[in-house]
Amino acid sequence: MRKLLDHHVALLLGLVVIGSVIFNVWSPWQFTEIASNWKFIDFTVMVTWWICGVAFVILGLFMAWAIWRYKYHESGESHYEPEHPVLESWLTIITAIGVVIMLAPGLIVWDDYIQVPSDAMEIEVLGEQWTWKFRFPGEDGILGTTAVKKNVVRGLEETTYEANMTSLNPFGMRDDDPYGEDDILVASNILHVPLGRNIKMVLRSKDVLHDFWVPEIRAKMDMVPGMITYFWFRPTRTGEFEILCAELCGRGHHIMRGTMYIDTQEDFEAWLDTQVTWAEMKAGQKPESPIVAKGRQIADQNGCFACHSLDGTEVVGPTWQGLWNREITLSDGSVVVADEAYIIESIVDPAVKLVEGYGSVMTPYSFTDDEMAALLSFLQEATNAP
Amino acid sequence: MATAEIPYQETMPLHHPKTWIGKYVFSQDHKVIAVQYGITAIAVGLVALVLSDLMRIQIAWPGEMAWFVEDFYYQSITMHGMIMVIYLLTAFLLGAFGNFTVPLMCGARDMVFPFVNMLSYWVYLISVIILLLGYIPGLGGPTGAGWTLYPPQTITEGTPGADWGITTMLASLAVFIVAFTMGGLNYITTILQARTRGMSLMRMPLTVWGIFVATFLGLLAFPALFVSAVMMILDLKIGTSFFMPAIVSLGETLAYDGGQPLLFQHLFWFFGHPEVYIVALPAFGVVSDLISVHARKNIFGYRLMVWALVFIGILSFIVWAHHMFVAGMHPYFGFFFATTTLIIAVPTAIKVYNWILTLWKANIKLTVPMLYALSFVLTFIMGGITGLFLGNVIIDIPLSDTYFVVAHFHMVMGVSPILAIFGGIYHWYPKLTGRMLNDTVGKWHFWITFLGTYIIYFPMHYLGFIGVPRRYYENFDSSFYPQSAQDLNELISVTALFVGAAQLLYIGNLIWSYFYGKPAGDNPWGANSLEWCTPDTPPSHGNWGDKLPTVHRWAYDYSVPGAERDFIPQNVPQEQTA
Amino acid sequence: MAEAAHEESGPLTTIVNDWSSDVSTFKAVPWGKAMMWIFLLSDTFIFTSFLVSYMTVRMTSTDPWPEPSAVFALEFLGTPVPLLLIAIMTFILITSSGTMAMAVNMGYARRKKQVFWLMLATALLGASFVGMQAFEWTKLITGEGVKAWTNPMGSAQFGSFFFMITGFHGLHVSAGVVYLAIVAWRVLRGKYEHTNYEIVEITGLYWHFVDLVWVFIFAFFYLW
Repeated sequence: MRKLLDHHVALLLGLVVIGSVIFNVWSPWQFTEIASNWKFIDFTVMVTWWICGVAFVILGLFMAWAIWRYKYHESGESHYEPEHPVLESWLTIITAIGVVIMLAPGLIVWDDYIQVPSDAMEIEVLGEQWTWKFRFPGEDGILGTTAVKKNVVRGLEETTYEANMTSLNPFGMRDDDPYGEDDILVASNILHVPLGRNIKMVLRSKDVLHDFWVPEIRAKMDMVPGMITYFWFRPTRTGEFEILCAELCGRGHHIMRGTMYIDTQEDFEAWLDTQVTWAEMKAGQKPESPIVAKGRQIADQNGCFACHSLDGTEVVGPTWQGLWNREITLSDGSVVVADEAYIIESIVDPAVKLVEGYGSVMTPYSFTDDEMAALLSFLQEATNAP
Repeated sequence: MATAEIPYQETMPLHHPKTWIGKYVFSQDHKVIAVQYGITAIAVGLVALVLSDLMRIQIAWPGEMAWFVEDFYYQSITMHGMIMVIYLLTAFLLGAFGNFTVPLMCGARDMVFPFVNMLSYWVYLISVIILLLGYIPGLGGPTGAGWTLYPPQTITEGTPGADWGITTMLASLAVFIVAFTMGGLNYITTILQARTRGMSLMRMPLTVWGIFVATFLGLLAFPALFVSAVMMILDLKIGTSFFMPAIVSLGETLAYDGGQPLLFQHLFWFFGHPEVYIVALPAFGVVSDLISVHARKNIFGYRLMVWALVFIGILSFIVWAHHMFVAGMHPYFGFFFATTTLIIAVPTAIKVYNWILTLWKANIKLTVPMLYALSFVLTFIMGGITGLFLGNVIIDIPLSDTYFVVAHFHMVMGVSPILAIFGGIYHWYPKLTGRMLNDTVGKWHFWITFLGTYIIYFPMHYLGFIGVPRRYYENFDSSFYPQSAQDLNELISVTALFVGAAQLLYIGNLIWSYFYGKPAGDNPWGANSLEWCTPDTPPSHGNWGDKLPTVHRWAYDYSVPGAERDFIPQNVPQEQTA
Repeated sequence: MAEAAHEESGPLTTIVNDWSSDVSTFKAVPWGKAMMWIFLLSDTFIFTSFLVSYMTVRMTSTDPWPEPSAVFALEFLGTPVPLLLIAIMTFILITSSGTMAMAVNMGYARRKKQVFWLMLATALLGASFVGMQAFEWTKLITGEGVKAWTNPMGSAQFGSFFFMITGFHGLHVSAGVVYLAIVAWRVLRGKYEHTNYEIVEITGLYWHFVDLVWVFIFAFFYLW
């Protein structure tokens, strides 16, 4: 017992090493069950895991043993040997071999990862704070081009432009690109993909960095505004999977989630048929009176749609669908009618009456009387719809 | 070495301060500056520690602290990271240890330009104050962009502190870089040009080597951060579009157009990766010396250790994009940077082998500083091998931006350097104050800190395997996390709070021992390097009295066969031991 | 290694001897000079970062990049002469490097008056460079409409990088002018009699560096 106490440092360090191994064996927390073709990623992880694990155990236990064996004695004397070139060379060589064994499969799989099979179908993911949208190329198989701005004029004093990505054109489709007309637009964070097809995810962002990630798929890549990035995969089992954003994108990063369903081909096609194309979306938009159009423009420019949807989708704030004159339960339990007075108050002083279930995150906005009138006309028009 | 060069410092007039302020406040004495750096770094580090505890509470028990909203969480992430990396670790390892050890271990009277050295500290203090200005109420708080400050997020409305907070952060970084440059030029020039008689580069203790290489890295890496800070502040204030493409931020189409977000990431990581080694290399050096002294054995393979430091330093400039494997850069970069990254594992592994081989056939005194050094080796192995996962490009794909990354970098550049700092303080405190720290308190603090941090970070890797994403304000309502993962998170948080509180033991020990500690004598550990050979303890201004010491041997002559004691200080001539 | 032979003094042996020696690595190099060299190395990385950023943005820009010979032309006797102003500015800065070198030379000879006047000339040349740069900026901003955030001729990054990098260089020149003036004044007052005028050489190092950086900026902005 006394001896054990004497050597408690060596023992505890050894226990930390052995404990780590036991934890690893016992741990219920491992990779999620894979749902794509990327099992080779898991394989390379295991190669590295074994090499590193063995190295860790050997080094750790050797250290613990050395501390036990060579503990200080008054009469003891350490071995004076500044260098041992042969030993050092061997250790270097062994390490280098280990590195090569880990690196080689990694690079081979990476080569596979970045080369998209030619038969892959394209799905575009559009990230924005803090939700997802998706676009399919439609019958022509080609995604139409997009733009953030239109009518850019570089003047002597400043550059002027018009917004192209508005609530009427949430994907920023270009007017002058015919390939875009048949593109299928999915303006919600629910995506369906077909089982067994190679899929190239074309990644685009509207505002900041995002990262489309489904842990069961393994693959991920950042979405960078101004660039188009990609990765590819092939779904290997059906099911419902959570989409996460894996790149910090502002205060709502953690709520930027969605759902990806891997469907059979028939289910997938049935779902896709219910979605609208860009041409259909444009045709469905009724012409607006000038004051309503101005109100929509104000709502666009002030970023209202980032938090409030018109179609009932839950974003950051409560939806505007059917808002006008609806009864609303507030966070203190009371019920009010969303009349003009309430809506104005909620715009200029949003913290006073919070809708149940929503936090106080909106900043107060101030508008001129004209602007407020236009905004209200738009709200009445757009949210009165059944 | 037959040159009869007389060190200029020996004849240089030394102006002793006459007032209390000149001695202790605006002091040009490197030892006082070291203490000033150290105290400031620890103070601001405590702020970061409190922030981390708040984050852990939120992660384990979401919503329990109603006032700790999303903005606070993301601001805490950012400030915690930046403070720890720059204002604590860099400032402490180079500002405090660098200042204290470089002149003493090289046998110099002081840094070559003491006035610039003093300025360095005061500018550093200003940078810390500017950083904390982010917390002025009513201005939106500090930035919440994460310590990597990736645009466009950093300066758009969806991020907390996108105006005032990021301005103070960038200004503070720029000022810090000025401070670092003033200090760093001094360390390098002192090491290169102002050593004492007989002190060749290959006789310098590894601590000095670590600081030397790290300072070089800093002087060449911080410029990239400086440039990116300048460009970002222009984007923010003037409306240039260096990093800003055309975007629609929260519905509003911004005037920016044509910029490149990835350019920032390249600049940032060209700084950011060497920064890892700016923190690690001095810690390597300190640990090498601690292990050798307390194991009563020469450091194994000294020359290889030096060359490994230099080699790691050079390689650290061509591995930066392994932080960007999922950033969307050209995929072919993946091949190059994965290869260079794994190559750097070889010299790093050699260092680990040599530490462990130093223990082999040694005569190990398990003093408290030795405990910190030994635990450093273990946590560094853990952090190093998980780095092999993340450096291998394809493995990084599923693991990046998960808790695996968080666990990895906390192990390798959070826990490890902090343990080296604790060990280093414990080792040099007797020289600095003339008193020993209390061993009982030291041991308690050591075991709580070491085992505690291991319990915090080791299981965290497994959260990353599941796929728990990092930087989430709320984590565990996802479909694929088992409830047990949330239980694990609670365990981590409880341990973190406990370990956080235990740091008061160390600080209490530092204060208590200053007044009541056991008197230390000149050389309590029986160490060889020059700082233990000063005529006075604590060393007086000018360090060496009238004559600089003369060095006759390397710093690692422990247990030399035939010698009467188990150590021979560097200033003992050959003939006295033969 | 204690008996390092001084007789065999090939350049390589000298370097190895110096690096393995005690006290100082660069023999007979004063501390201030060593420090300036290291600082300039660090500063090189700043300008390299700026210029590399500029190059990557320019090479990948999808908007048109203005033609430098047209943008930077100057009316002379009614005809636009490409790069005239820049040629003069570059000439002035290189001349100032010449006067600086002469000042350093006079410093070795300990000729106080000459050092003073040559450094003053260098400072004045530097100041006139900054003045011309201000003129060029004004012309670009008011005449051509190029601002840091917009550019009627194409990519906005043209103006952004131009103003940022030449501005940063201009700050270096301005700081150098002040530095030169102070050192020149102190030389005249006889403050450096006891230190062999090494400060003049150190100032010269900085000044030559600033000139050298200009050559790169000139090449990348005006000739590319």
